[in-house]
Order: sequence, then structure tokens, then C-alpha cells
Amino acid sequence: MSSAVVATELVKEFDRGRYTLWQRLRREPDRRTRFRAVDGIDLRVETGEIFGLLGPNGAGKTTTMKMVSTLLEPTSGTIEVLGIDVARHPREVRARLGAMLSGERSLYWKLTGRENLEYFAALYHVPPKDTRERIDRSLAAVKLSDREDDYVERYSTGMRQRLALARALLPDPPLVILDEPTVGLDPQSSRDLRDRVRDLRAQGRTILLTTHYMEEADQLCDRVAIIDHGKIVALDSPAALKQTIRAEEIVRLEIGLNGDGLGLLAQLGRAGTVARQQQTNGTLAVTIHCTSARDLVPAAFDAARAHGATVQHVEVVPVTLEDVFLSVTGRELRE
Amino acid sequence: MTVAADIRAFVASARKELRIMRRYPTLLLSVLFWPILLPAAAVLMGRAYSGSNDPQAIQAFAERAGTSEVTGFVFVGYAMYMWLSAMLWGPGSALRTEQVRGSLEAVFLTPTSRLVPLFAPPIAALPAIILDFAVIFPAMWLLFGVVLPFDAMLRAVAVAVVGIPALYAIGALFASLVLRYGEIGPVVHLTRGIFVLACGITFPVAMLPAWAQIGAALLPPTYTVADTRAVLLRGEGLGAVAGDLIFVVALTVIVAALASVVFRWLDRSARRTGMLGRY
Repeated sequence: MSSAVVATELVKEFDRGRYTLWQRLRREPDRRTRFRAVDGIDLRVETGEIFGLLGPNGAGKTTTMKMVSTLLEPTSGTIEVLGIDVARHPREVRARLGAMLSGERSLYWKLTGRENLEYFAALYHVPPKDTRERIDRSLAAVKLSDREDDYVERYSTGMRQRLALARALLPDPPLVILDEPTVGLDPQSSRDLRDRVRDLRAQGRTILLTTHYMEEADQLCDRVAIIDHGKIVALDSPAALKQTIRAEEIVRLEIGLNGDGLGLLAQLGRAGTVARQQQTNGTLAVTIHCTSARDLVPAAFDAARAHGATVQHVEVVPVTLEDVFLSVTGRELRE
Repeated sequence: MTVAADIRAFVASARKELRIMRRYPTLLLSVLFWPILLPAAAVLMGRAYSGSNDPQAIQAFAERAGTSEVTGFVFVGYAMYMWLSAMLWGPGSALRTEQVRGSLEAVFLTPTSRLVPLFAPPIAALPAIILDFAVIFPAMWLLFGVVLPFDAMLRAVAVAVVGIPALYAIGALFASLVLRYGEIGPVVHLTRGIFVLACGITFPVAMLPAWAQIGAALLPPTYTVADTRAVLLRGEGLGAVAGDLIFVVALTVIVAALASVVFRWLDRSARRTGMLGRY
């Protein structure tokens, strides 16, 4: 299988802080520091797969996408898209790439859906004889044909996102890049858009998407790279990533403490793996990975009783990518 | 990636701007209103200061301006001012609007030349500029009884056509700064003010100090304004202003080359700093 995207030792640094004109005139020292938004990423996206970059806000997902799509220049490292060097031939890369990076804001609200696509078809150098057919196909792919002559300002957010996706399909691209495609959408619109993305894979296209929704990555992606602080901390299929947890179930407990809770935590740790614990105002919130909740929950109640504590809340959930993120970073995805 | 494809993108970009403008029809009101009000006020003020067509005052004006046609001089100057404003700030305004709206990145994600979104949107200002002239000439006739010969108007159009690329190039130079600095409106307003003072928009260049006249001689609009007045108000032929027009073309080539270099440099800077998506 050939690779649609290959990124090697990719680094992007930005300045942090300000050095104003006034500071320069006063010859004050430059206190800006450099920080790495992307810190040595190696990535290989195979042709025909849906590949997800999963991580919290600020993890470096969008920066990576912008470098792949030629909007940002890497500080170091190389990227090849469909075998083309992004740094040397950015226009050739853009001609083969359908990208949806800023969603509904990137559309012209005072134009109709079709007028938007007519404009972008010209920018994508779609031959005039093919333009109508290409627009019709793109609109049909996102199920907007019946609203093509409405002004975009009259569309719902979900429809605008779909139109942005239709625009990305105009060059008939083998690679589609989607940055947080369902952010801000209601559940129905999100499901709808995910179905459209699956359709694209069925057409043989490669999809590279970012998301901070673990369910989205889990349901949609063939492979997921978990990214945190600019580094890829785990990369595999969602099922394989979840297997790394070595647990069948996750138990989340809230326990009212009568003491410091250290003895209780030690006892809970013998019943399963304590993945996370946090004490707030005399309440211990603890997440435990275990093979069977049926065994762990009674043991947790016994342990709590033995330490004079009270179990206030019990939640048993299957292993998710959230737990994978927690296990590899020590933090929750939403933090 | 052909030039023909970029030209089609250029046309599509201009058409997009025209479509958006068409959906705000009240904008046309200002096109009809200001080209009459601003110069008319200046003409009436001038008449009041000079004792209403006092021959001595008119003679003094003619010695400095090269024509005794005060009304024509002022109206042509203001028409050029509107034109200058649109062309000078058009490219920058277009880029800035795209940047704030959030569509600039989407445009820059396409394989079309980066010069297309820079140069195409100001084309949408041309109908308004043409309408300005279409309003000004009847207004001069109806309000002040000044009738300009039709052949002189055609020659003025030729002078304008030569002058447009120069203003475009200067506008593109400023527009490049949007990529690096975002909001550059105040810089453009300052420059427009300097151009109004230096290029003889509202008064003869001869009124400037000698050192300022040297600076004015380096600005293409100085020649376009002067030559438009020469053909319209003094009835001169294109041959008489040919030297100026050649000089304007030369300046245009220099400024356009500079704008292209600066644009590419700042585009690269924006791709390093991430300024494209920020505002």
C-alpha cells in the first residue's frame, strides 16, 4: 500500500510573548521564547484509509494539518503529499488536495451555495467544461443539491460545514484533509457529516482528519495518532490502542472520605489499576482499569467500608480512546 | 497550472466580488452622492474666497494650474481622488476582508496564483469608478454649466487606462503588508493623504514647496492627474502627454516588480508565523 502523506521529523516553532515597537525603541531585551507546537512528528498516512489525529486543543493537530496543506512552513522536517515534496512544489500539492480547515467561516455568506462552488472551482483550475458536472457531483455528495440556490447565510451550521466539504471535493482530490469537521455541530449533523466522510473513503479517497472527539476518532478512523504537546504519543487502530490498556472495563468511583484516603487507594490498587485519582473537598474521584467490574465494585465497597469511607457514585464504562489518552499522558482529553 | 487557468480564476474572483456588491445595493448611493457633493462644495468655497469669478483671481489661478477652468480642475481632481482611494486600498481591503472573514486560508489552499486574490477583487471597484465619472460630467454641466468635449473625454479615458496599473501596483504593495501586519488601514489613509497633498488632487502642484514638488514628480498619480486635466481642460492631444505616459508605465513596472517581491517575501513570512489565519 502506498502512502498518501509522509511526514518526517516534523517541527514547527512559534514565538511566545511579544516584542513591541516601543520595547525595541527603548532597547529593552527581547524576552520572547520559542515553543514547539509540533515537536518531531513522524507520520505515514496510507492510501485509502481514514487517519485521525486525536488530541486536546493546542496539542498541535491543526498546526500539523496546516503544514501538510502548505499554509504553514515547517521549522524543520519534511512532508510528502502523494509523493510530492510540499516545500518544493506547494502548488502541485494544493492541486491534488481537498482541504476543509476553517469550516463555515471560510465561505461567502452573501453568495449561494452554487456561486461559492463556482468561484472555488475556478480557483481549483477545474476546466470550464467540467465545472457544472463537478459542482453537481460535489453538492450531491454532501446532500445539498436541493439548497444550492439559497444564500449561505440561510444555511444551518451543519449545512455550511457540508458545503465546505463540497468545496474540498471540487478538485476531485485523492487526499482530503478535514480539521475538526464536526466541531460545533449537533449530534444529527455530526452523524450526517461522518457518513459523508465514510462515503469518501468508499470512493477510494484518503482522509486525514483531526478531532478532539474520541467517539469520532473511534467510530470513523482506521488508524488514530494520539497527539499531545506536539508529539505523537500513541498510533494504531482504535481497537489496538484500546487493547493497550490491558483492561476490559473501566470503573469510575466517587468516594466520600474519612481521612487521607491513602490506605483506601492502596487497597483499590490491589483490585485493579488506578489510572487516575483526584481528591476535592473530602471526595475522592478515582478511575480504575480492571478485567471485571463485577469483581471490582464489591471489592471497592468493602475497601471503602474498611476505611470508614462511603461510595457515593459508581460508573462502569467500556474502554475508550479517552482512557488510552489518560494512560499515555496522565491527563484527560478534555483538560 | 496554466496562465489561462489563473486568468479564469482572476475573472471568477472579480465576478464573486461584483456579486457580493450587488447584494448591498445601497452602497451605490454613495457612488452617486459623494462625486457631486465633495467637488461642488470645494468649487463654491473657491468662488467665495476669490470674489466669485474675479478675473484677477482667475488669472492667478490659471498661472499656477495651467487652466482657468476652476470647476473642471476641482471636479477632475475629486474624481481622481475617488479613483485613487478605490485603487490604492482595493487590493489591501480585499485581502483584509478575506482574512477577517476567514476565507483567506481557503483561497490560499487552492492551486491558483496568490496574485489572483490580490489583484482581482479591486476590479469590482471599476464599475463604481466609471459611475463616478458618469455622474461627475453631467453634474458639472447641470450645476456649473461646464461642458467637456466628447473627444477630450475619450483621451482622458486613455490617460486613465495607462494610469490604472500604476495605482494597482501601489495598492498591491500596501496589500502585501496585510499578510504580515493585518490591519494597515491607518497606513493607507496616511498615504492617501500624502498623495492628495502631493499629486495635485485638489490644488496645483505648483503650490507645493520645491522639495515637495520633487517628491511629487516620483509619484505616478501626479502625472495621471495632470495629464487628465491637460486633455480635458486644455484640449491637448495624447501626443503632448506621451512622455508623461511612458514615464508612468516605467514607474508602474518598477512598483509592480517591487510589490511582487514584497508580496512573495511577506507571504513566506506569513507561512512561517501563521499570520494568514490570524487577524
